[in-house]
Amino acid sequence: MSEEVKALESMIGEEYKYGFTTDVEYEDFPKGISEEIVRELSKRKNEPEWMTDFRVKAYHAWKEMEEPTWFNATYKKPDYENLLYYSAPKKKPQLDSMDDVDPNIRETYEKLGIPLEEQKMLAGVAVDAVFDSVSVFTSFKEKLAEAGVIFCSMSEAIQDHPELVKKYMASVVPVRDNYFSALNSAVFSDGSFCYIPKNTKCPMELSTYFRINNMESGQFERTLIVAEEGSSVSYLEGCTAPMYDENQLHAAVVELVALDNADIKYSTIQNWYSGDENGKGGIYNFVTKRGICKGRNSKISWTQLETGSAVTLKYPSVILQGDNSIGEFYSVAVTTKMQQADTGTKMIHLGKNTKSTIISKGISAGRSQNSYRGEVKIGKKAHGSKNYSVCDSMLIGQECGAHTFPYISSENPSSSVEHEATTSRVGEEQIFYLMQRGISEQDAISMIINGFVKDVLKELPLEFAVEANKLLDVKLEGSVG
Amino acid sequence: MSEVIQKDTMLSYINGEIQSNANSVAIRAINVRGKDALENTPFPTRKDEDWRFIDLNAIKKNRFTSVSYANAAEVGDISKHYLPEALNTRLVFVNGIYNEELSSISDLPNHVIVGNMSEYGDHDAVKEHLGTITNYDDDAFAPFNDAAFEDAAFIYLPEETSVEAPIHILNLFTDAEKAFYATPRLLFVGEMYSKATIIEEHIGLANNVYLNVPVTEFRLFAGAHVHHARIQRDSKQAAHVSRPIAMIDRNAEYHSYTICLGAKLFRNDPRVIQNAEEVDFTVDGLVLIDGDQIADTHSIMDHRYAHGNSHQLHKVVVNDNAHSIFNGKIFVAKDAQKIDSFQENRNLLLSDDGKVNTKPQLEIFADDVRCSHGATIGHLNDEEVFYLHSRGLTEQKSRELLVYAFALESVESMEVESVEKLLLDEVIKYTTRD
Repeated sequence: MSEEVKALESMIGEEYKYGFTTDVEYEDFPKGISEEIVRELSKRKNEPEWMTDFRVKAYHAWKEMEEPTWFNATYKKPDYENLLYYSAPKKKPQLDSMDDVDPNIRETYEKLGIPLEEQKMLAGVAVDAVFDSVSVFTSFKEKLAEAGVIFCSMSEAIQDHPELVKKYMASVVPVRDNYFSALNSAVFSDGSFCYIPKNTKCPMELSTYFRINNMESGQFERTLIVAEEGSSVSYLEGCTAPMYDENQLHAAVVELVALDNADIKYSTIQNWYSGDENGKGGIYNFVTKRGICKGRNSKISWTQLETGSAVTLKYPSVILQGDNSIGEFYSVAVTTKMQQADTGTKMIHLGKNTKSTIISKGISAGRSQNSYRGEVKIGKKAHGSKNYSVCDSMLIGQECGAHTFPYISSENPSSSVEHEATTSRVGEEQIFYLMQRGISEQDAISMIINGFVKDVLKELPLEFAVEANKLLDVKLEGSVG
Repeated sequence: MSEVIQKDTMLSYINGEIQSNANSVAIRAINVRGKDALENTPFPTRKDEDWRFIDLNAIKKNRFTSVSYANAAEVGDISKHYLPEALNTRLVFVNGIYNEELSSISDLPNHVIVGNMSEYGDHDAVKEHLGTITNYDDDAFAPFNDAAFEDAAFIYLPEETSVEAPIHILNLFTDAEKAFYATPRLLFVGEMYSKATIIEEHIGLANNVYLNVPVTEFRLFAGAHVHHARIQRDSKQAAHVSRPIAMIDRNAEYHSYTICLGAKLFRNDPRVIQNAEEVDFTVDGLVLIDGDQIADTHSIMDHRYAHGNSHQLHKVVVNDNAHSIFNGKIFVAKDAQKIDSFQENRNLLLSDDGKVNTKPQLEIFADDVRCSHGATIGHLNDEEVFYLHSRGLTEQKSRELLVYAFALESVESMEVESVEKLLLDEVIKYTTRD
């Protein structure tokens, strides 16, 4: 037993693989936040007036709000006055090819194993790579344009497609939705914008890799995906961050809109720096992600593999407004060392015959705390709706904790909600059984964990599933007892 | 500006001063403690996580007065509420005040005490255990009971004693001109290897407004076995806020069952604290509500030591505009390994305007445990209705039968035959109402 724990501990002790920084010059911008700073930021980004107004309004809304404390995590609050709200690699002349991209940046991507170049092209994935805050390279644009798909950075969308941005931005996550969404609305730097026109199947998987690369720079991404009637899209997001001791805040907002018969699949792998053994450093990941199934028969599916960040507060949600719409949430959250994760989902059933599925797997090791917090709500008019939720937790070691806070409510007698949750450990008998068959302890544990999370990982697109499996093994190497 | 801001406390809803004339020093000490706490404890609001979903208007729109000023009616003949198994092991409290005439306690083994606490104020068990395990941090209700109670049921079982007959604690509430408050209290102390069955009943004799705030404390020492049934049949205008708590030692077994039938507003916060290794406990509940009733259960199963089994089955049927809330917490402390805990919450929502909130909650800090919970909200299975219908029952009858079957599981765990019968009658009354 104790040896197993030791093996486990050594696995947990795996150093952060992606802890390096890149030297890129940054434009000067004062630290802190105020109306002037928000205006200045908007000006530098050359934004139209309506956008500036939007930001300023959001800033004042944020000013009035209080930082929430209801979650099951404790951390040192970020000093908002000491953050840098604007950072962008120095302006370069317009890029014609990959060769024009800053070699440092390219190297960074290569270290991260992002095949931005030909491999990616062969893989058929368009990449909108966000380095810190501003998009530096976008590929496959032409192929997407052929299909009529708009896939660009948020800044470009504000310039080129203001009517779409105006119509949908903040329509799913209102500015005042929460403290962090208000802050994001005021100072968001950039992000991805994606619009799939009517009856179009997006010809390739869309993905964004972004990483936090500037000490003290808050990252405020803003992503908006709109799927018109009968369209479908699969979007991948993955991130790693360099190792820093200073805590870094990441408060992104992701909004998804699915109209009639549209289908959006959003997958995430999150592996930001989680701090060291003693909880020093690491990223604060306070993300607001929400999708709305606005149309009939629409579907939104969230899949996430959360392994990084010192503190994660994240609840990808679906509002099931259209009749017969479907919401899905598949999640694996792994916490080790001193990590704290409070994550889950919300499924708000408003339309008739709406269905939602929640599969959440939490693995806590080391001295970490892992909480599932979810809400399933069946509205009065959501006749014939169904929800099925499972949240299983696995504990590894004696100093971690696993918690479940599922809020369930129903106001409709023709609907049904089922929720179940379990907490357990990796069974010694299971390990024994596998070892007896000649499998090493390490592999046995890895197998059992893979089995535990299989239901979720199989939902990831293939390119990600491989990466996800690797990541899990690295994270939990030497963990289980 | 010298305006004093009026704080919203329990006292805001009470007429006059809270006075207790208890003779016992032990009780008076608790009264004082409660009074102090009351002044500083704010009345719960929707912003408090534990009170988020509940509408407290049944309390807030009233001013409750003490029973002595309420012009309470006479009790009348209450013999139909007596349990045949407990004819001589019965304590009766009317509006929270002990009634010696109606009580009967002649059938007890040696050294067992079942009586009014004010007569046993100097008993070591009272001095040692009264008011020690109740949770006072949460809100104003337990302190309110503390401040106001004079009489209380006191049950004491010496080592290796078992009481065969069930002990019946009958709390009656009479009609009255004014809305009044009552604070029934029960202290049970079971020494090592003692055994008893307690039936705690709350019955409203008329359809009047009152506030019932009972506190029950169960202290079970090693090897004690207790079966504790709580049956709430308050007036459908009444508000009932309960604080039952139990602390149990090694090898003790504590099985509690709360049946909620009455009251306009019912709030129940049962809590069982595991105080040593190797225990076994149950925190079951059955809620049958309709009209505009609200029933809210916030239970805590607090595992502090290794090796414990616990089980919770909370069943709810909601009809009309009724609203049920359930928040069941399972805590497992660090090092409390080998806990096996299971919690099940089943809700049957029968009407368009009914509402169910549920939040089964796990907070686990030990790795070698097996804890699970399940919660469902649903309606009657159409196929089952059809099956019965096809066997010749009317659709109405089929539905009644299925609701009856749903509730049955909880009723059958009653160990006292007459209680089981009484509850089955109540279930039938509930399912066949028009």
